[in-house]
Amino acid sequence: MLPGLETVNPDLALLTPHLIILGLALLLLAIDVIVPRWRGAPMAYLTIIGYAAALVATLLMIDTNETTFNGMFRADDFSVFVNIIVLTAGILSVLISINYMTSRAEPGSMPVPEYYTLITFSILGTMIVGAAGDLLIVFLGIEMTSLAAYTLTGFARHRTTSLEGALKYFLLGLFASAILVYGMAWTYGATGTTNLTEIATELTAFDTAGGVEASLLLAVLLVIIGLGFKVAAVPFHMWTPDAYQGAPTPVSAYMSVIPKTAGFAAMVRLLVQAMAPLRDEWTIIIAVLAVVTMFFGNIVAIAQTDVKRMLGYSSIGHTGYMLAALAAFGASSDLNDDLSVTSLLFYLLAYAFMNIGAFAVVTWLQDRGRGVDVEDFRGLASQSPYAAVIMTIFLLSLTGLPPLVGFYAKYYVILATVDADLIWLAVAIVLASAASAFVYLRLIATMYFSQAEQPAPEGSTPFLGAGLITMVAGTVLVGVFSGQVIDLAQEWVEALTVPF
Amino acid sequence: MDNLPILSMITYAPLLGALVLFFTPRVDAATSRQVAIGAGVLAFILSLAMLVSFDVNESGMQFTEHIEWLPDVGVNYDFGVDGISAVLVVLTTLLALVGIIASTSITHRRREYYISLLLLETGMIGVFFALDLFLFYIFWELMLVPMALLIGVWGSANRVYAAVKFFLYTLFGSLLMLVGIVAIYWENINLGNAPTLNILDLAAVQYSDTLQFWVFLAFFIAFAIKVPMWPFHTWLPDAHVEAPTIGSVLLAGVLLKMGGYGLIRFNLSLTPDAAEDLAPYIMVLSLIGIIYGALVALVQPDMKKLVAYSSVSHMGFVTLGIFALNMQGLYGAMIVMLSHGFVTGGLFLCVGVVYERAHTRLISAFGGIVSRMPVYSVLFGVLMLASLGLPGLSGFVGEFLALVGAFNSYRWAGVIGMFVVILAAWYMMWMFQRVVFERAPGEPPDPHDNALPAVSGASADVHDHDDEWPVDEHGVPQWPDLNRIELATILPLVLLTIVVGVWPEPFMELMRTTLETILIPFGSQGV
Repeated sequence: MLPGLETVNPDLALLTPHLIILGLALLLLAIDVIVPRWRGAPMAYLTIIGYAAALVATLLMIDTNETTFNGMFRADDFSVFVNIIVLTAGILSVLISINYMTSRAEPGSMPVPEYYTLITFSILGTMIVGAAGDLLIVFLGIEMTSLAAYTLTGFARHRTTSLEGALKYFLLGLFASAILVYGMAWTYGATGTTNLTEIATELTAFDTAGGVEASLLLAVLLVIIGLGFKVAAVPFHMWTPDAYQGAPTPVSAYMSVIPKTAGFAAMVRLLVQAMAPLRDEWTIIIAVLAVVTMFFGNIVAIAQTDVKRMLGYSSIGHTGYMLAALAAFGASSDLNDDLSVTSLLFYLLAYAFMNIGAFAVVTWLQDRGRGVDVEDFRGLASQSPYAAVIMTIFLLSLTGLPPLVGFYAKYYVILATVDADLIWLAVAIVLASAASAFVYLRLIATMYFSQAEQPAPEGSTPFLGAGLITMVAGTVLVGVFSGQVIDLAQEWVEALTVPF
Repeated sequence: MDNLPILSMITYAPLLGALVLFFTPRVDAATSRQVAIGAGVLAFILSLAMLVSFDVNESGMQFTEHIEWLPDVGVNYDFGVDGISAVLVVLTTLLALVGIIASTSITHRRREYYISLLLLETGMIGVFFALDLFLFYIFWELMLVPMALLIGVWGSANRVYAAVKFFLYTLFGSLLMLVGIVAIYWENINLGNAPTLNILDLAAVQYSDTLQFWVFLAFFIAFAIKVPMWPFHTWLPDAHVEAPTIGSVLLAGVLLKMGGYGLIRFNLSLTPDAAEDLAPYIMVLSLIGIIYGALVALVQPDMKKLVAYSSVSHMGFVTLGIFALNMQGLYGAMIVMLSHGFVTGGLFLCVGVVYERAHTRLISAFGGIVSRMPVYSVLFGVLMLASLGLPGLSGFVGEFLALVGAFNSYRWAGVIGMFVVILAAWYMMWMFQRVVFERAPGEPPDPHDNALPAVSGASADVHDHDDEWPVDEHGVPQWPDLNRIELATILPLVLLTIVVGVWPEPFMELMRTTLETILIPFGSQGV
């Protein structure tokens, strides 16, 4: 049963994007030591170039569908799409970080070289989860992402809230990892293998033998709880608001997409790929979690006055919508029509543009010396009309208003849930969206309907500006031209080879 | 002209104006006004051209445009126009143009104001042209933001509350509609058809009764909120009272019509069986709305709120006519919508005129306007009479037909509805009497006329403001009569009211074939 004992020649070409990112991370570390004067902007350029190169390498690998390292590593279209999401989000996060580093938004300073290195390692971790074909690889990737995220949260080391957020995130994250591993252990114990495809085969055999063992249900439950922490599903969300509020703003932006993507990619690999035969058991759990999560996040967000904390809660709400997409899995026997993972992937991509965008506008204000309170947005529309319009676009997209990308994302999720006969889930999504409108509308109303009290924000932030324009373009256009994106996302079906 | 995408041109002409203004941040207020007027005129002329070359005898959609958009999920860019949407689009472009011209009282952030107005116009036109449910939904939601901004930025005291309430109410309704759209989309696929969201293709399918019931409800709530039907109307008075004059004009003139249009276009054609089953209940709701709106209008101290509640009452006739499910009823509903667009739009402009002068809308603050503003009083009077349904003016034609239709289908509904018309005369004429004829606050009683009671409790003091108006010896401000812009915006609406009232035939001719097509599933015969 231990295939690793035979000698194999791994096909390293399949790992090209991962190797590029790994090389980049090591290079950034080396530069810090060897050429200290390149710290700062040159490092950021290098990071962006590296991500872009990995993105190109990823796009060249569409429709590869091969495995290597004895099936532990899968280069398929699911991993391609995960790479696209995280690399895009990575480029955007770096773009909004550059000016923030040199602004005086944080007391003291933030160590620049480690910052880019950690983001790069975190991206590598998420890409590894996306390409995982084995329980161990999933865990490896998840931990790589999380450890970097803990550290980045505490990066504003002279601000106690940042340290507090990091500590909470770290401790609860450790628990989550332990629970996840426990679930994996039960899975291994029940099936005797760590390979995801083989687990699925074993489980099908169980299934036809009649009845599901309690040990397997325990495994499913533990995996869902462990990953529920990572994606911030209620009731495992406790760390989220503090971490979002405490982290430096660009880190909050990054944190809302990249570790979340890792968590969802792990859910897809573990639940959809490996535990598909148990889908009747886990889809209902995920569906209930989805409803609780979307309502809790959006309703608690209403009461927040700190914009970062508000976006933290709203990010919990969005986790709910994504879970709803996952819960729609297995609706039709013909997987080619199954929109569940498709809509989940599209949602994550859409979320990268609009949510990093919203945080970017907060960063924009902080770079100009403003705070992160709702009150700091007062009268922004009369002082900086373009910033207000841009923020409005992101917020309306988060609300799910057409023709912005957030609407398309929600639309595909609703399509998937209704197809799975989960009408109540679809209705819950729209009701939660209506509640979330209240959250975002309050900020828009503050920007447009109240008088400015602080001096007009001034300053120059070219990189942030470039990032904002990219994200506005993405928010407006990705939805309208979502046909090809959806086509690519639908390829997950071939990637995951689920035996039914 | 056959190959020109005329419908898209009409839709995006205002958007073009909005984009020009958006990317020229340093443009001054006068130029931005000219750009907005230019875009408004362009859209209006194009829509007239569309109306002129419209073929009234063709039953299907005309000037159709089709572009593949998201073929995998059956979403296409489908535009088309038929009798009912043609009429409503011309109403929209007309009222939007009137609105842009009449926006002289806006003093701050005028460029942004015109951008919002033009965006709103694009959204409104697109709703009427869209033949694809997805596209329809996009335009439907697109209107929300500029309308909420118009209320929230340029409205009066309690505007933020009103804007948020308007937004949330409408969003809630339309989100439910989204679920309905998705449900009917999958049902169509499950019945073995190709994925599509085209209204005409979806309407050709016979759905199960259960599905029809739920889809009908999902759409109905969205449209009932927009109409608004009792008991979904509570956002309307707030929105109307707080909105700037032009916001109210467009809200009453066009946005409410979308509810009626949606009911005819979607509820009747997608779910005919459910519509037939539920019609009696909706008749009851409509009657309650008619009576309730009229009674509440009666006691309003605020002119604008009075007109707003009268809208609830009038729109009750629209739903009454629609769910009579016969030709007269539908004609009536369409004519009421058209007439309500002119009349209520005009009434809001009239209220705006005196608000400009007195900075209050309280009925008790006015009196004797007729001696100071005779032209205004005449136009106001015609609109008031049209609103209460005087024969010879547009309000009568529509309400009469709607009641005939209702009488045909449900005798009780017609009878109750006819008795209620009297209430409209009551609240409208009473308001008119107090504002236009009775003595102004402060004016001493006429020694030669003992019949006029002394006005008591004229509480609102209109002299608080920086009164630039000369006052007579009793302290009654001598407001000037209508200026040219005010006349130019109100007069066309008054004339249209008279035209529709005297000679409605061409309008009905426009809609005949379309309405007959819509009624096919109900087995009803023509007039």
